[in-house]
Amino acid sequence: MGLLQEIIFGLVTGSYIAIAAIGFTLIYGIVNMINFAYGEYLTLGAFIGLVAATMIPVPLPIAALVAMVGGGVVSIVLARGFFTPINDTGPVPMLLTSIGLGIALRNAIRLVGGRGARYFETETATFRFDAIPDVSLGPVDLLGGFFVTSEQLIVIGAAVAVFVAIHGLLTRTDVGIAMRAMGDDESLARVRGIDTQLIRDSVWVLAGVLAGLAGVLMAIQTNVSADTGFSHILQILSAAILGGAGSPYGAILGAYVIGLVLAVSTAFLPSSMTGLSSAVAFVILVAVLLVKPSGIAGKEVREA
Amino acid sequence: MSVLDKLPDGHGDRALLAGLACLLVGALFAFTPLRAQLPSALYVFVEVGILFAIYGMLVLGLDLQYGHTGLVNFGHVVFFAVGAYATAILSAQDSFSGLALGYPWPIGLAAGVVVAAVLGLALSATSIRLRGDFLAIVTLATAEIFHSVFVNFEETFGGNVGILGVPRPIAALVEGDTRLVVTLLVLGGVTLVTLAAVTRLTEAPYGRTLRAIRADELVTRSLGKSTITYKTQAFVYGAALAGLAGGLFALYNGAVAPGFFTIQVTVTIWIGMLLGGAANHRAVLAGLAIIMGLRLVSRFALDVTPVSGDVFASIRLIVVGLILVAVIRYRPAGIWGDARELGVDR
Amino acid sequence: MSLLSTDGLVKEFGGLRAVDNLSMSVDDGELVGVMGPNGAGKSTFFNCVSGVIKPDAGTVTLDGTDVTGDSPESLAHQGLVRTFQNTRELETMTVRDNVRLAAPNQPGERTIPALLRSSAMQKHEEGVRKRADELIEAFELDHLADEYSSSLSGGQRKLLELARALMLDPDILMLDEPFAGVNPTLTGEIADRIADLNDRGMTVVIIEHEIETLSELVDRLVVLQQGSLLVEGDPEAVLSDERVIEAYLGGDAE
Repeated sequence: MGLLQEIIFGLVTGSYIAIAAIGFTLIYGIVNMINFAYGEYLTLGAFIGLVAATMIPVPLPIAALVAMVGGGVVSIVLARGFFTPINDTGPVPMLLTSIGLGIALRNAIRLVGGRGARYFETETATFRFDAIPDVSLGPVDLLGGFFVTSEQLIVIGAAVAVFVAIHGLLTRTDVGIAMRAMGDDESLARVRGIDTQLIRDSVWVLAGVLAGLAGVLMAIQTNVSADTGFSHILQILSAAILGGAGSPYGAILGAYVIGLVLAVSTAFLPSSMTGLSSAVAFVILVAVLLVKPSGIAGKEVREA
Repeated sequence: MSVLDKLPDGHGDRALLAGLACLLVGALFAFTPLRAQLPSALYVFVEVGILFAIYGMLVLGLDLQYGHTGLVNFGHVVFFAVGAYATAILSAQDSFSGLALGYPWPIGLAAGVVVAAVLGLALSATSIRLRGDFLAIVTLATAEIFHSVFVNFEETFGGNVGILGVPRPIAALVEGDTRLVVTLLVLGGVTLVTLAAVTRLTEAPYGRTLRAIRADELVTRSLGKSTITYKTQAFVYGAALAGLAGGLFALYNGAVAPGFFTIQVTVTIWIGMLLGGAANHRAVLAGLAIIMGLRLVSRFALDVTPVSGDVFASIRLIVVGLILVAVIRYRPAGIWGDARELGVDR
Repeated sequence: MSLLSTDGLVKEFGGLRAVDNLSMSVDDGELVGVMGPNGAGKSTFFNCVSGVIKPDAGTVTLDGTDVTGDSPESLAHQGLVRTFQNTRELETMTVRDNVRLAAPNQPGERTIPALLRSSAMQKHEEGVRKRADELIEAFELDHLADEYSSSLSGGQRKLLELARALMLDPDILMLDEPFAGVNPTLTGEIADRIADLNDRGMTVVIIEHEIETLSELVDRLVVLQQGSLLVEGDPEAVLSDERVIEAYLGGDAE
């Protein structure tokens, strides 16, 4: 498969990772925790979307909206129940709690939803571009014919829409500006009269909404199973940290880097070892944390 | 620990004696015609007991790293895995998947410990300065990287099948019930000796320094202690212990495969440690026993109820996840831990 | 003879000069106070000297040796011991353990002696315990010896920090706001103990906001403003110096 094709896959992966990573990194920057249960928010979003699309049924965009609303609700309920009460215990207890919550959620979903994978039924249009000539570099085709499906275009399009919306939120709305203030310096924000708990709640809702959307998009591209979200949590985490923990713009950049690296490394790895490509994401994560923990755009995370 | 005015010779020394006694009795059964008989109802307990002994070494190592020194290691299984694989590769005689170099098993075991320690050294050299939750992520990611490597480099590590044909020294000496009993005695003995060693270390001024580092590293440095050295040592000792556990596991199981070394192991160890009470060695072993006891209970319940194994596993894991959440929220010092010791008396 | 001196010390944080070309010296046996309005750079100065942060330029000399940029643990071994402003005493340890911890060169702090519980280690530990108990008694904390230091009052914590610092037998003691958050009675007691230590030859440098107590206690006062030295000298003279009054009352760095 040509490199160009892999790059397209990378852009698609990067797109839904980016949407999720924005939510994830906002939680990190404003609630000050690494939410390891976030993958489950995506899975729930995917399931809600699936139920809406197949059982009710509603067209895909509506299902996505239902998933987004569902995601937001789930997120704030879980936050209020599990995370807000222990807000002042520190990042490690909160991380551990999210790990426990994630395990419980994942298995609860497995109980209810079963072990198999489900698929969204979508009508796909495929656009083929076969006329492009092959240009080879050793065993790798640099160009070559490629195709793009309408699903992929939807994913990428949705992501772009999200980026624009988030930018608007953060720069033009009171809530968004307050979020940025809190992300920069919480005590200062409080002094300025910002209701920090309200903003935290807003971040949870926003992150849940994004997770719901990302879950549906991910499910369209792959499938829906209890493990869908969890299998991507480390990529989401890598993207957020690579871009600078706490920075939504950095998260977008980080996500596309991760997506492209994943896809391109699949092209270059021998076919028996394609499973290693996910390890590549982790290697990037470790490398970033060791060399420049503040990532591309974020704050210092080393201790004194 | 602070009220004692003479150096304690309490449970640490008793553990040492008990451990040596176990090893002695085990050797007795292994090398003499003495044989043991086990009622078949007890088999499952002995098997879980053997696994408990191995995981016990893991939790003691983690307790040294986190309970005493405050290092949040969420990839502990990687040292277990690396130790097991190193031992397996070096000592396996004939595995149709992966490497098998056929050296004598003591060399394999020693290599397992060394390789795990080296990995611990590499990790601590690079990551020991990271903030708690980020250290957790780096260690977790490292474990996932190695897991992926073990699965994908099939020629070396045997892929999902793993490495077979690892020598089983005890199995070579005795059979049947005796084999189970000897294994339990030997591994239990090693764990007890480990408990003694770790207890000695932490009851000495060494432990005092570790706990001071956990409390406030800057103050400890200002009092003249080279905290980087201590943190590195605690990390490496914990890793080496896990490597030993891995090597012993390989030599007991006769095979290693990625399925034995998943994040579930790390989670089990952590929950056991937190449930029992971090920084208290006997408590963390007790906590681990409770968590593994749950596994036993579900195994029995499985025989009785008309529910599939998968469903039970899921239910058990839901319970386990909620236990972790509950402990952190309501009883962060665990059942037997000292809340003031751990700084969680709110 | 100068025991501790800095020469041209500079530390910048994001374009702001917290310490600006600061040169000062402390003689053996002196009791020096460092004061200045908020933002004067007192804490940064202390941190640069005690190895907590590395200065951008300039040197720090301790007893003739260049110790610029040395680590806190190295400085402690070389005779410079400091306390912390926010009473960062070790809350999850008892008073006794806090003090015992500080003893230098304990064989029991190394792996092999700890594991073997060697007699050398046991003997040394006995000595450490005795010395710690003596200090705890001297500072009248013995009734709290087995309390976790988290349950101590502000003043008691400061006393604990002093006792702990003394276990290291320092040549020079640097105290970071020893009177902050302490009631007047205990403040007087702490001041008396510091004076006592100094009478017996200990060199002491103190940062404080509590100007009254500080000026009564010290031999010499150093006033910092915006990272550099404003005035230094006899406490009375310094306090009545116009520049100092201006610095504290006028529109200064806040």
